[in-house]
Amino acid sequence: MNHSRPATRTEGLTLTSDRSGAAGLRISGAVFLCLAFSLARAASPADLLEAERAFAFSVRALDARTLEAHFAVAPGYYLYRDKVRFTVEPGALANTPVLPPGEIKHDEFFGRVATYRGKVVVTLPLEQPAPGQEISVIAESQGCADIGVCYPPQRQRIVLPLPRPGAAPGPIVSAVAPKRAWFR
Amino acid sequence: MHRRLVIVGVFGAAGAVALAAGLHFGSQRQADAGGRADSLFAIALPDASGNEQRIDQWRGKVLVVNFWATWCAPCKEEMPEFIKAQQAWGGRGVQFVGIAVDEATKVRAFADEIHLNYPALVGGFGALDLSKTFGNRIMALPFTIIIDRDGRLVHTQLGPLTPALLQSVISKIV
Repeated sequence: MNHSRPATRTEGLTLTSDRSGAAGLRISGAVFLCLAFSLARAASPADLLEAERAFAFSVRALDARTLEAHFAVAPGYYLYRDKVRFTVEPGALANTPVLPPGEIKHDEFFGRVATYRGKVVVTLPLEQPAPGQEISVIAESQGCADIGVCYPPQRQRIVLPLPRPGAAPGPIVSAVAPKRAWFR
Repeated sequence: MHRRLVIVGVFGAAGAVALAAGLHFGSQRQADAGGRADSLFAIALPDASGNEQRIDQWRGKVLVVNFWATWCAPCKEEMPEFIKAQQAWGGRGVQFVGIAVDEATKVRAFADEIHLNYPALVGGFGALDLSKTFGNRIMALPFTIIIDRDGRLVHTQLGPLTPALLQSVISKIV
């Protein structure tokens, strides 16, 4: 199982605070400050994520006619709701996907705009079931980082097989392979 | 307890490495800015009215090239400061040039709206590749480069360029 950097960090802090040794707590504090500082650096332009990692796109086939699309928006980044679009090839979606409402951001130029942070899940019903067939899911999106940087519109494609009748839902397929964790 | 200290030590070391790496890349960015901008002077792009503009017409000036787009709110937010700076420094040989990662009609509309007093060239998405050659690793906006009178790249900035930093860089090379 892969551990992302934040998950690894949480594990470290838990291990150092589960008992109340004074030395352990002092060291934990130093580690926390060190990590906090490195996280603050991550908010500088030099450490900005590539768009596909800032807005990680993945898809899972629930059954032969239903897909579930996910965006995992990294902390400090946001997606514009009205820039999110999904299409499939071959075939079509049964209807326009229902997007979560998002949270309202007040923008000097764009006014009140709905944005997504954290996890976004959208169900994509297919017009025609295609059990056992491969399907491409194309997501268009556009977002920014809180430090004042915006990414151009992205188009990401995931190809995955649809389950056969009666089969369990398929695995989550990511557009980008996760980065190697520090620890496994 | 022993295991706990080992793990704490590993995380402490990892934090220190992250800190050192952050400081290293911070200084590396400045070092990279010491290159030349010859490739920029070799190109021409249409302005918002469709007239081709060669970048080398501004050779010999202090050139501030701002990559922007109408879909980029932080880009639009900083442009009024560039208008003021063009007004303030233009007489001393400073020339701002905007390169939009956008469509001409949108560029023209926004340039008119804010009374842009410097050229707004239209680069489309190809302009992002151009910006990458000057260090825009993730091809995000705004991205601004400052070139001295001898064609040397003296500053690159991903994200908003504050008026104080802009003044600080320009005043040293004007």
